[in-house]
Amino acid sequence: MKSKIYIGLLMFAFIFLGSFLQVEAAKQYDYKSAEFKAVASQFACTCGCGQDHYECDPNTCNLTTDFKKDLVEMMNKGWDKDKIRAYYVNIYGEEILTAPEKSGFSLTAWVLPFVVLGAAALAVLFIIRKWVKKRGPEGPVTEYENTEDEIEEEILSSMIDEERKKYL
Amino acid sequence: MFLFANATIYIGLALAVYSLLIITLGISTKNQRLINSGKGGMIALLVCSSLAMMSLFYLLATSSFQYEYVHDYTSSELPIIYKLTALWAGNAGSLLLWTFFLTLYMIMIAFSRKLKGNPMVPYVSAILLANAVFFFFILGFVAKPFLLLDNVPIEGKGLNPMLQNPGMIIHPVTLYLGYVGLAIPFAFAMAALILKNVDDFWIKMTRRWTIIAWLFLSLGNIFGGQWAYVELGWGGYWAWDPVENASFMPWLTATAFLHSVMIQERKNMLKIWNISLIIVSYALTLFGTFLVRSGVLTSVHAFANSNLGLYFLIFMGVAVIGALYVLMSRYNMLKRSAGEFNSFVSKESSFLVNNLLLVGAAFAVFWGTIFPLVSEAVRGTKVTVGLPFFNKVEAPILLSMMFVMAVCPMLAWQRSTVKNLKKNFMIPAILAVLGMVLMVVLGIQKAWAVIGYGVIILLLITHFLEFYRGVKARRKMTKESPLVALYRLMIRNRRRYGGYIVHLGIAFIAMGIIGSQNYDLETMKTVSLGQSIELKDYRINYDRLDQKREGINDIVYADVTVFRNGKKLGTYQPEKVFYGNWEQPSSEVAIISSLKEDLYIVLSAWEDDGKATFVVKVNPMMNWLWIGSFMIVIGALFAVWNGKYGNVTPRYTGARKEVS
Repeated sequence: MKSKIYIGLLMFAFIFLGSFLQVEAAKQYDYKSAEFKAVASQFACTCGCGQDHYECDPNTCNLTTDFKKDLVEMMNKGWDKDKIRAYYVNIYGEEILTAPEKSGFSLTAWVLPFVVLGAAALAVLFIIRKWVKKRGPEGPVTEYENTEDEIEEEILSSMIDEERKKYL
Repeated sequence: MFLFANATIYIGLALAVYSLLIITLGISTKNQRLINSGKGGMIALLVCSSLAMMSLFYLLATSSFQYEYVHDYTSSELPIIYKLTALWAGNAGSLLLWTFFLTLYMIMIAFSRKLKGNPMVPYVSAILLANAVFFFFILGFVAKPFLLLDNVPIEGKGLNPMLQNPGMIIHPVTLYLGYVGLAIPFAFAMAALILKNVDDFWIKMTRRWTIIAWLFLSLGNIFGGQWAYVELGWGGYWAWDPVENASFMPWLTATAFLHSVMIQERKNMLKIWNISLIIVSYALTLFGTFLVRSGVLTSVHAFANSNLGLYFLIFMGVAVIGALYVLMSRYNMLKRSAGEFNSFVSKESSFLVNNLLLVGAAFAVFWGTIFPLVSEAVRGTKVTVGLPFFNKVEAPILLSMMFVMAVCPMLAWQRSTVKNLKKNFMIPAILAVLGMVLMVVLGIQKAWAVIGYGVIILLLITHFLEFYRGVKARRKMTKESPLVALYRLMIRNRRRYGGYIVHLGIAFIAMGIIGSQNYDLETMKTVSLGQSIELKDYRINYDRLDQKREGINDIVYADVTVFRNGKKLGTYQPEKVFYGNWEQPSSEVAIISSLKEDLYIVLSAWEDDGKATFVVKVNPMMNWLWIGSFMIVIGALFAVWNGKYGNVTPRYTGARKEVS
């Protein structure tokens, strides 16, 4: 019986300590920690500051103060950043995110720059090939062994130019 | 004063319209007298815009609050320097500044010694005058700088405290100088096309203008970033805000232009591409202004939302359609003279890849910036496209760009054989890989950082070799001492070596960006008096919290003593300023700067019992960013400096007309 009481007391103490620690943790939570950044920087603050909830200053924006507290609560519950993200997107829609989703129509935001770049790269390749072919194999080419020769020639021509200017 | 100031705007508008019409008439009737009259009108236009500027400066300095602009952006206790610089704090004033720069540039072109007797001048003048008509129209009817209020207020609203910073004095000025500067090569390109003069005269003639415009655009962005870093208390310098993007896009396309013109100069190729690039760069400057002034996108850059943006959009549309029409009508001429490449592997090819990446990066920024509008139009959801998007999309493109930058100096013009390539590349590549391995061993293990720094090592080595080989080649022929050889080598080819200095500057900036983005540390802690905060090697002792009054502002400040590895660095005072005439307080951060890193301390909040909350940040390699920026300025100035060598005025060989 005694041991049961001890266990009971111990459990009580543990729970109390846990909740105490949790309160302390919430109070002293480092809003600038890397873990918090990973979660909070996903969400755009709508107070008009144009920042995300990681950057937005809780001392000047009430909106972010509450939002940050909610995020910490969820993190304490063991939710990871993707779960928290899904939770908010479910409520507020994609508008709350700082970057578009990588699905549906928003995927075009991510993909199009690279598609255009790829297509343009192919076009450049095609154009260079066309221009190289056009020259034909026997065209006269000043072929430099390396850049050093090229520089030497440039220096020489600039010196000749200099001399020419002196006397002409 | 009211009448005088307004007269400068409306007479200016009348003069701009007159000059435009008379020059156009002069061109069509080939009458030099009419052209000269138009040129006289242009001088009068500069006088008008100068007087308008002086009037506004005077009204701001004397706190004439009966004027809406003065009332909205200043207050009587504001230091005189900020009273004056409030000229570009609002819509109307900043557009007046823009107009002033435009008229100034216009005169510099129309009366340029080098262009004396050149038939392009009337055309260039007419195109710039069309711009001036638009700006004077805006100043006269849309954003009026000299509007009177119904009653005379005792006090003004004051200047946004965020703008009361040296960075803000110069940031808008440099940006506008860059924006307006891009109108010059655009006007020359159009004039060349209209005159059916499709050689590279316009490029050679405007080369300096383009570099100067590019330099000012770079400076505008750098000063903006520097201001954000010291003033916003957020510890960052670039947020990919729509307005920042708006100035970054023309910078990217202008950079592409500066490189691709070399192919036209050397090989008489890429004519259509170069003209397209300058049209796009010019259009993007107007697009940027549309974004800033229209309020279609959420931005931290607080210009009042108005229909002003719409006017810019319409003007941009007209300019682009007009330019494309001229381009298309000369398409066959431009196409006919297309040249050829000698090899896949050559400097020419690498410039094409460089253009591909720069324009690709500009497109990615453009797409990300307008995507919220696209998304709203397509499915009714206005998504936010912020920092995470741009960082992820731009990082690989710009890193590839850095790689091309590293490789390019090693490639010869015309043709580089694989054998030579191997010979030139083997040592730099091995050293870069060794550097990367060393980084991993030393604990730098983030992929982006390792790859990024690897590419930068390659870039530094290839550029060093470029200087080294140049000096060696010169010494072989002249037997000069190494320093003399280096100096003479550089001043005889200012553009090339100036460009390399800019490359090195970009490498330094990239080092700063990679370091500060990947290895920054941050903490936010509430501490009691006497307690300390520890971050990395730093200990910040919180010693005192006090309040003082400066003018009408209340300042709460904390004394903190900073130690690194136990060694005292000094006492610093992060502040929070509460303004007498502004609702939002601002943070004055304490920055302890070194080459290795910045310690960034923000006083965030405090309680009655003396407890205070600090945000402390360690930003690695921030100074590298500023050093790199400085190198860009040096490099660009070196490239455009009016030296003894290679400073030949290009010969005009195009169409001859009777008027000039």
